[in-house]
Amino acid sequence: MRARRRRITNIAALSLGTAATAVGLLFLVWILLTTLINGFAALSPRLLTEMTPPPGSEGGLLNAIFGSTLLIVIAVAMGAPIGILAGTHLAEYGGKSAVAETIRFVNDILLSAPSIVMGLFVYEIVVRPAGHFSGWAGAIALAFILLPVVVRTTDETIRLVPITLREAALALGAPQWRVIVQILYPAARTGMITGLLLGVARISGETAPLLFTALNNQYWTANPAQPMANIPVVIFQFALSPYDAWHHLAWAGALLLTVFVLVVSVGARFLLRARID
Amino acid sequence: MSEQGGAAIRPQDTPERFLRNAAPSPKAEAAAAKITMETLNFYYGTNRALKDVSLSLPERQVTGMIGPSGCGKSTLLRVLNRMYDLYPGQRATGEVLMDGENIIAPDIDVNRLRSKIGMVFQKPTPFPMSIYDNISFGVKLHERLAKSAMDERVEWSLTRAALWSEVKDRLRTNALGLSGGQQQRLCIARSIAVRPEVILLDEPTSALDPISTLKVEELIDELKQDFTLAIVTHNMQQAARVADQVAFFYLGEMVEVGPAAQIFTAPRQRRTQEYITGRFG
Repeated sequence: MRARRRRITNIAALSLGTAATAVGLLFLVWILLTTLINGFAALSPRLLTEMTPPPGSEGGLLNAIFGSTLLIVIAVAMGAPIGILAGTHLAEYGGKSAVAETIRFVNDILLSAPSIVMGLFVYEIVVRPAGHFSGWAGAIALAFILLPVVVRTTDETIRLVPITLREAALALGAPQWRVIVQILYPAARTGMITGLLLGVARISGETAPLLFTALNNQYWTANPAQPMANIPVVIFQFALSPYDAWHHLAWAGALLLTVFVLVVSVGARFLLRARID
Repeated sequence: MSEQGGAAIRPQDTPERFLRNAAPSPKAEAAAAKITMETLNFYYGTNRALKDVSLSLPERQVTGMIGPSGCGKSTLLRVLNRMYDLYPGQRATGEVLMDGENIIAPDIDVNRLRSKIGMVFQKPTPFPMSIYDNISFGVKLHERLAKSAMDERVEWSLTRAALWSEVKDRLRTNALGLSGGQQQRLCIARSIAVRPEVILLDEPTSALDPISTLKVEELIDELKQDFTLAIVTHNMQQAARVADQVAFFYLGEMVEVGPAAQIFTAPRQRRTQEYITGRFG
């Protein structure tokens, strides 16, 4: 009697779980397929050779692709060093102290803060005083989003390094900073790079913070002091427009972005797996 | 290496200590102690893990430390190279003299001390880098050597650790690719390369197979020509094989110390006898 009830409960729970997974996967596949089909239809060499067009005409995404790349590079250059240093400090000097735990808690809040809040914040401290939107402001907003990801992964991966390795290095008479730079960083390297890549994947799709900061630019610019074109905002703007040519470009941009994020995420996974083997 | 009888004045010296160095006590002269512990106590927070331990490590001899788990023998090793400094709440009181210097005094240069007292741990701990770099890492901390001198030092230490012939063709490969026994001998080579005066071995063969264990034991026998060694072991046969002097610890106290032959054949204390005959522990 009891065995039978158990079996029925088991089958019911299993079916519900499978159904839930199927529903989730269905939408994921649907989204990916729609992006792929519409994106591939819009792909053309002009994407990489022409600027975003004025309403009603044909064009490409060159300025937006370049802009997004530059924004991400600047954001990583600003956010990664600060994040790695902060994470190192938490792991090696903070330990389990009350201060360190508080910083970790605040960092987790920052990690889950809505990105539009970051955008508004940077708008308030950078864009308004400067009087205009700029690539710098966009990169700063992205760096704020990247920062907590890097802090967290650095902290966690360094703390995963066995205590014995640390002690072995110290037992040779190594000062703490050498242990960190020459032993802990190499030992934690793959984890730290994985965290950075996941952070890059996260910021490359962010739209809200860029609307308030980098805005957009119809023309080519490599000067971060000016407003900068970028893929997410171009998608946002073009997708809402009534023009077919813009719609196509938006789909193409969405495809490029999706493929980029996919490659970076899979690359990160691959690195992590390589470490475990 | 031994400055025991020398009358060099060290900044840490008190007048009493200076006199003691200049004219070593008869006891020290007879045993030629490299390290002398006097009423050493150690605390993990409020838990007293070592109780009034007084013990000497004779120079260029092997001292074996035996006793059941948690008796304080590993703790003792961690006191000698100040490994406990890493952990707040752990502290030592008493005196540990090496060449007349109290090495548990707060003003000691810990990094310099650790270059003189090397340590090999229970599990092999190769650094995630090449075999060559594993050795040169420690050397570079304390000496500036030209490339050729460093090559020589690497070869010398690997030869002393009986590993050279096995790795000489792959010095640039990652040390993590070595077998467990090779990794442990690499760790020993890494300690020797710094040219310490004392080497502490914390159950160095407990993670190794019998053949690797034999190699490490032979190595310990070799090393005592140049170094003072202390080995913690759970293996009584091992202690009997490698140690000149054996100290038995129980619940934080040093119950008995004496020549290995005496401890294993005619222990003076009942607790020692019960432990070595396997009645407890």
